[in-house]
Amino acid sequence: MEPIIATHDLKKVYRIGKVAVEALRGVDCIVHEGEFVAVVGPSGCGKSTLLHILGGLTNPTSGQVLVDGNDFKNMTDADRTRFRRHKIGFVFQRFNLLPTLSARNNIAIAQYIQGNGFNPHRFQTVVEMLGIQNKLDQRPYALSGGEQQRVAIARAVICDPKLLLADEPTGNLDTENSQTVLNMIRGLNKTFGQTVLMITHNPEAAAVADRTIHMRDGRIVSD
Amino acid sequence: MINKLILSNILHRPIRTAVSALAVAIEVAMVMLFVGLSHGLVNDSARRLEGVGADIMVQPASSSFFFALSQAPMSMKYGDLLKNVPHVLAVAPVLINVNSVGGLNIIYGVDMPSFVRVSGGFAYHAGGPFVNPYDLLVDDLYAKANHVKVGQTVTLLNHQFNVSGIVEHGKGARLFIPLQTAEDLLQVQDKASIFFIKCTEPDYTDDVSDAIRHLLPNYKILPVKEYMELMTSNNMPFLNDFTAAYITIAVGIGFLVIFLAMYTTITERTREIGILKSLGASKGYIIAVILREAGLLSVVGIVAGCAMAAVVRKVVITYHPTLFIELTMEWAVYAALLALAGGMLGAFYPAMRAARLDPVDALAYE
Repeated sequence: MEPIIATHDLKKVYRIGKVAVEALRGVDCIVHEGEFVAVVGPSGCGKSTLLHILGGLTNPTSGQVLVDGNDFKNMTDADRTRFRRHKIGFVFQRFNLLPTLSARNNIAIAQYIQGNGFNPHRFQTVVEMLGIQNKLDQRPYALSGGEQQRVAIARAVICDPKLLLADEPTGNLDTENSQTVLNMIRGLNKTFGQTVLMITHNPEAAAVADRTIHMRDGRIVSD
Repeated sequence: MINKLILSNILHRPIRTAVSALAVAIEVAMVMLFVGLSHGLVNDSARRLEGVGADIMVQPASSSFFFALSQAPMSMKYGDLLKNVPHVLAVAPVLINVNSVGGLNIIYGVDMPSFVRVSGGFAYHAGGPFVNPYDLLVDDLYAKANHVKVGQTVTLLNHQFNVSGIVEHGKGARLFIPLQTAEDLLQVQDKASIFFIKCTEPDYTDDVSDAIRHLLPNYKILPVKEYMELMTSNNMPFLNDFTAAYITIAVGIGFLVIFLAMYTTITERTREIGILKSLGASKGYIIAVILREAGLLSVVGIVAGCAMAAVVRKVVITYHPTLFIELTMEWAVYAALLALAGGMLGAFYPAMRAARLDPVDALAYE
């Protein structure tokens, strides 16, 4: 199976004032298409930075990143934006829904931004799979945390991205909702064959994944 | 979808929306009303002068384009010379007095028989011509604005005048007194500020004008037709500059309000911009969202501004019938374009700033 993610000696240094903070100190990893990978580690170990780099939200300081065969080093900001639009879906800990839009429009906007217009069939399939058909006219503030996260997942997968990047998707949810959300991500992974890379510090959440990568101090310590 | 996002953002922040649109509305209304007032007053003045019915005006060379500023009376003897020019039907001397107490009023001191010959006479709404030296004729708009009735006493030029008649507006001034009284008040004798000349046929205007120029080479001979062409707001000294300055200030206010509204919006919605970026929204998409939102605010403001201008005009002319405000479609379009341009310009920097936001920082924004 082809790797969808391949990183080599990936480093990221943040500058906070005059202080250089090494978030990633040489990360090498391979993720194959269709895999469900959990990345675990303590706070500040570089998990989120890795996810942001893989999602094209930020550039690495050095090293190589190949996602679906695209070398981010050779891509402009606009290229990475375009790539993200078509190939990557994000799920965040804080849901990150647009507060002024209904659940329906929060999901549909991803299709419009992608540029292919609204696909009602895909939309219906996704919302039914996530069980949010009856919540589509609600605004985010009227939804529970679990419902908001399901809307956010629907938005992330509505354009059928090859890679789903989830940053602590159960971090703001209670146990029951966490389990529901994890089952749904697992289900999407199985149903659509989407590669999932999920960051978590929760071992129970990581257990849902096929594979767990442990990080500490900006490095992968076990895989 | 982008329209839904913009509309929902606008509706989600009603106070910001209302204040921004109101600022644009005030900007549009200010431009329309100011230009409408200046055009209206100039055109009204020109129309009233045309309404005297003369074909030619004769003034001293040093006289002003504005009759109110003319303080250069001519000898009445010229009136007799002018009457003898071929094709002259009538000559009406007018001595202009300016009352500046309790408002600025131009008062025509008229010799009633000759003024009637030139103008065709007054149409009386009430009362009749002068009988006594301190009788006064007022036009219907002045009477309405000042609640003046026939028989009432009006103080002008520090003297008490009795209103002997109310006449239809449109015969030069709004107030008329006997020529002799005007002379007494100015302490001059046998003088006129202006001679209105009526030709036997309008076609003779040029010939008569040439003849008078020959006769009175040092005087200003102006066919009324020519005066009407000159009497536009564009020819008013400093008015164009003042209008430009006024419009610049109005547009500047709209620009600053939209700039501030969109700038604070960007700060407030940093996280939302991060979300859009995480979904793959390009810089162009983000800029389009911000600019279209500013555009929509401007359009709402423009519509409200046009309505505001119409309402203010209605109120002003109800309470001040002598003021003329001409709201034209041409200036409504200019005001709209200026407001839209100001709004777009005001939103441009915030839009660029939003487009340049780092998505990771934006998503982490609290």
